[in-house]
Amino acid sequence: MNTLRAAWLVALKDLQLEMRTKEILTSTGLFAVLVVTLGSLAFYTDPVSSPNVAPGVLWISILFCGILLIGRSWALERENDAVFALLLAPIPRPSIYIGKTISALVLLFAIELLLVPLCLVFFQIDGSAIFVPLLALVFLGSVGFVSTASLFSAVGIRTRARDLMLSVLVFPLVAPALLASAVATRELFAGASIPEVIGWIRILAAFDILFVGFGVWMSRHLLAET
Amino acid sequence: MKLDFEEVSVAGLAKSYGPTLALAGVDLSFAAGDVTVIQGSNGSGKSTLLWLLAMLAYPTRGEIRYGRYGVSRADELRGRIGFVAHQLQLYPGLSGHENLVLAAKLQGIPYAEKRAADLCESLSLGEYWKRPVRTYSRGQAQRVSIARALLHQPRLLLMDEPATGLDVKSTAAFIELIEEQKHEGAIVLIVTHEAKFAGSVADRVLHMDRGRIVEPES
Repeated sequence: MNTLRAAWLVALKDLQLEMRTKEILTSTGLFAVLVVTLGSLAFYTDPVSSPNVAPGVLWISILFCGILLIGRSWALERENDAVFALLLAPIPRPSIYIGKTISALVLLFAIELLLVPLCLVFFQIDGSAIFVPLLALVFLGSVGFVSTASLFSAVGIRTRARDLMLSVLVFPLVAPALLASAVATRELFAGASIPEVIGWIRILAAFDILFVGFGVWMSRHLLAET
Repeated sequence: MKLDFEEVSVAGLAKSYGPTLALAGVDLSFAAGDVTVIQGSNGSGKSTLLWLLAMLAYPTRGEIRYGRYGVSRADELRGRIGFVAHQLQLYPGLSGHENLVLAAKLQGIPYAEKRAADLCESLSLGEYWKRPVRTYSRGQAQRVSIARALLHQPRLLLMDEPATGLDVKSTAAFIELIEEQKHEGAIVLIVTHEAKFAGSVADRVLHMDRGRIVEPES
């Protein structure tokens, strides 16, 4: 079977499960909202300094919420050893990784759609002119992060130290992409135009291509044997 | 086009997990239409042999041949293998029918919904096939697991303790089903501790101990 068709089936299965239980969206979404709320209460002093503080709060909440979300998404595969339903199918191994990455990205972006306006409101930033580019930036930043975290979660199917591995390996690996995301967000909040942040967006896009490509290549080997 | 094979053979098959030798050099062959039952104590390597044949793990040493094909054709060969594992390998949040539809779609079976519904009916999955698997008893879930292994009419059928949780009526139906598979020319390999069940389905009974095929103790 074609890799993309199989990946789509895997992603659809995850989204179907989530639409039924809303378990991941509720738990991780509430956690992310809590982080933004606490961050705004703790760090907001005045509208002048808020564009410098808000990006940090936004990206920390995305990062933690994303790690929780991806961990929970792969935990569904470990329950009953259900992942073997995928591993026994005559589909290319990368399709499992791609499908899991797509579903995690869709769910994370759904949470970000709530998180971004909330952050703008809490930090009193006028986001009317930057809302769409900001969402695009958040999406680009999430792609690299989710693809890397998904890859290490896939490895975690056969190791007990999966949570430790996620934190120890994923955070340093995605740090450059996260830094680029946070800086570009800060520039946008401070009133920079799109051409002024295009350099950061290019760096993010390059990271995304690198991370996704690496993930697809590695998953062929990592999921070959359980 | 689906790959076809009339025989599965293993030669010098060994598998280690770190310092633990799970399989210590097994030479066997399984022919189409034969039902082979493997028995042995816990940790004797029975399940490892099934996992290697299902290509869920790769041997440390030795070779597996599916007719003239080797494991380099794994992605295609998986479309000819049905596997009932000791763990159910079903998504608890999906219904039995949805689990079957997912498997059918991944197997590339046309009209997946219909094929899954037909199988639910033929295996008398009854009313519960639309409820989430997490609400099933072990026996009910086991029947879904068996149904999934048969969805794509596999050439090689591997089963690890398939009669677990089945009641008397379901076990009888299951024995009939194995007979059907045998007559259709499938290669059936079953790991079980249940001597009575083994006696009623087996053409050949093999015993394993410490990763090797051994003569049964008298």
